[in-house]
Amino acid sequence: MKLVCLSWSHRARAGSAREALASVPVERVLAELKARGICEAAALSTCNRFELYAAGSPDAAPSAGVLIAALEDLAGAALAEQAERREDAAAAAHLFSVAAGLDSLVVGETEILGQVKTGYESAKAAGMTGKRLNVLFQRALFVGKKVRAETAVASGSSSVPSVAVQLAETIFGRLEGKSALILGAGAMAELAAKHLAARGVSQLAVSNRTWERAYQLAARYQGEAVRWENFPAELERADVVIASTGAPAAVLTRAIVENAVRRRGGRSLFMIDIAMPRDIEETVHGIDGVYLYRLEDLEAIVAKNMASRAEAVAAARRIVDAKASEFGAWAGSLSTGRERSFKHSENPA
Amino acid sequence: MAQSLLSWGAFLLYVAACAAAFVYLLTKNARSSRLMLIFIGCGLAAHLLAFGIRLAVFWAYPENRWFLPVNNFFGALSYMSLALVAAFFVIEARKRLGILGAFVLPMAALSLGLAVLRADPAVGPLAPKLRSYWLNIHPMVLMTAYAAFTNAFGVGLALLIQERQIKSRKPSELCYRLPSLDELDALNGMIIAVTLPVLVTGLVMGAVWAYETWGRAWSWDPKETMSLITALLYGEFLWLRYVRGQRGRTPVYVSMLGFACMLATFFGAELSSGRHDFLGGK
Repeated sequence: MKLVCLSWSHRARAGSAREALASVPVERVLAELKARGICEAAALSTCNRFELYAAGSPDAAPSAGVLIAALEDLAGAALAEQAERREDAAAAAHLFSVAAGLDSLVVGETEILGQVKTGYESAKAAGMTGKRLNVLFQRALFVGKKVRAETAVASGSSSVPSVAVQLAETIFGRLEGKSALILGAGAMAELAAKHLAARGVSQLAVSNRTWERAYQLAARYQGEAVRWENFPAELERADVVIASTGAPAAVLTRAIVENAVRRRGGRSLFMIDIAMPRDIEETVHGIDGVYLYRLEDLEAIVAKNMASRAEAVAAARRIVDAKASEFGAWAGSLSTGRERSFKHSENPA
Repeated sequence: MAQSLLSWGAFLLYVAACAAAFVYLLTKNARSSRLMLIFIGCGLAAHLLAFGIRLAVFWAYPENRWFLPVNNFFGALSYMSLALVAAFFVIEARKRLGILGAFVLPMAALSLGLAVLRADPAVGPLAPKLRSYWLNIHPMVLMTAYAAFTNAFGVGLALLIQERQIKSRKPSELCYRLPSLDELDALNGMIIAVTLPVLVTGLVMGAVWAYETWGRAWSWDPKETMSLITALLYGEFLWLRYVRGQRGRTPVYVSMLGFACMLATFFGAELSSGRHDFLGGK
């Protein structure tokens, strides 16, 4: 079989072609290609990349020139110069690597897998997939899942807030339905609120010395503002506490926390102190069921993750390469008339 | 002999399942998790078959008919390991906590291993004092409770590791692979809360049987005393964890002390010269 891949990604120095393509709906691209006599094509459009895959038998292969001409007409811009072109084995390996998140701006991110799936489904809905692209894309989705299940590219968060969320998940499991208390209303507090809300933390309480600022921050995230005098009472309810006030001395003393823990019925309490000077007394960490992490603890975990991610990427690369050569062998067998059996010999968890 | 071959087969399959479980724990390789489940499934099948054959041989003695062959170490250990693996299948594998296999399955392999390596598989006619329908109930209920407590012990081990990881502030990969702290805590508590009443029921049944046989319900023989301490320790765990609301390691340590007592209760039978000497086959 013949496979052609054109991509405009964040790797290109100039982004003008990618921007022009981003505004063209995938459905229109597919319709246009169909009108120009291309039978098998799929497009992947995200904010970081636009990719087009087209396949055919070796004697009726789609040419890159035809594809680019069609796209240029749709986008109304010159695209050829910035296009990365790949064919056959290289094209398949590229799609696998994209699905695995290895080609992403943030390596290992999982969103791309869903985007690849969407791209495939649109092509399928448009009647633009045949055996070749069906196998290619199903294989790519499989490789994407396999890489995430078997290597650590997707785990090992690379920023302080995502490490904090990941730690919270090792304590509580899912964060849906949990409640958080945020002390302080500065930029760091806001960032924390945003991450927690994104992970489904349902009850957000914000307390700050200046009531108005607590109120504003709480309102932005459908939370509840708590008067500064009342935050110790709020400790009983919260599962996660994030402290980032500008107070000159610790506002959460061991006595306050011990008092709250006694009335929590054994629920774990995860506390994060990102303030300098500290908001939470260090000895709080010694209380059973209370886990206090400070900014430097989180930063140390980020540094460690970044180091081990490099290893994980190498392992992921090996999976991608092995699966791409498997695919290549199958694609080659199509032309000989003796098609090799090609099954998902294993499914990722 | 088919029975011993099948028991050996089941033992080796459990060992293989343990190996797969450890590989899964260390690499999170999905294939090894599936392998583990396949090994357990085959092991369970071989084990059940061995148990069936043993039952047939046992029942060849007319006076043994309808009694279960749990009157010696081989039968008891083999049954416990069967119940343990079955409990793991029902509790962890169904809740997709297969990763706990590395903590639970070694105990099943050990139990069956002790049976095939060290215990005498021979069967004979039951001692007259054991020919009671209570034989099918009292030890079975208790050994099922032991199997469940052993599961809880495995979960407790994982819980201690996870708690230490998170308290250390330097969590390793393992920390992200294990189930969350709260999940482990809830599972540990749930198993113990459900099993303790079963254990107590088994003890009460024993007392009733003893009363029927000897006219005395309780005689403080070492096995009875140890089993009472076991029940009290698990009760203490539930009290600390759910009444006092205590978290951290202390309640888990108490439950593990209960587990140690349980082991002493079961294997300590040799020490007792009193009413529980029959596991030795007497």
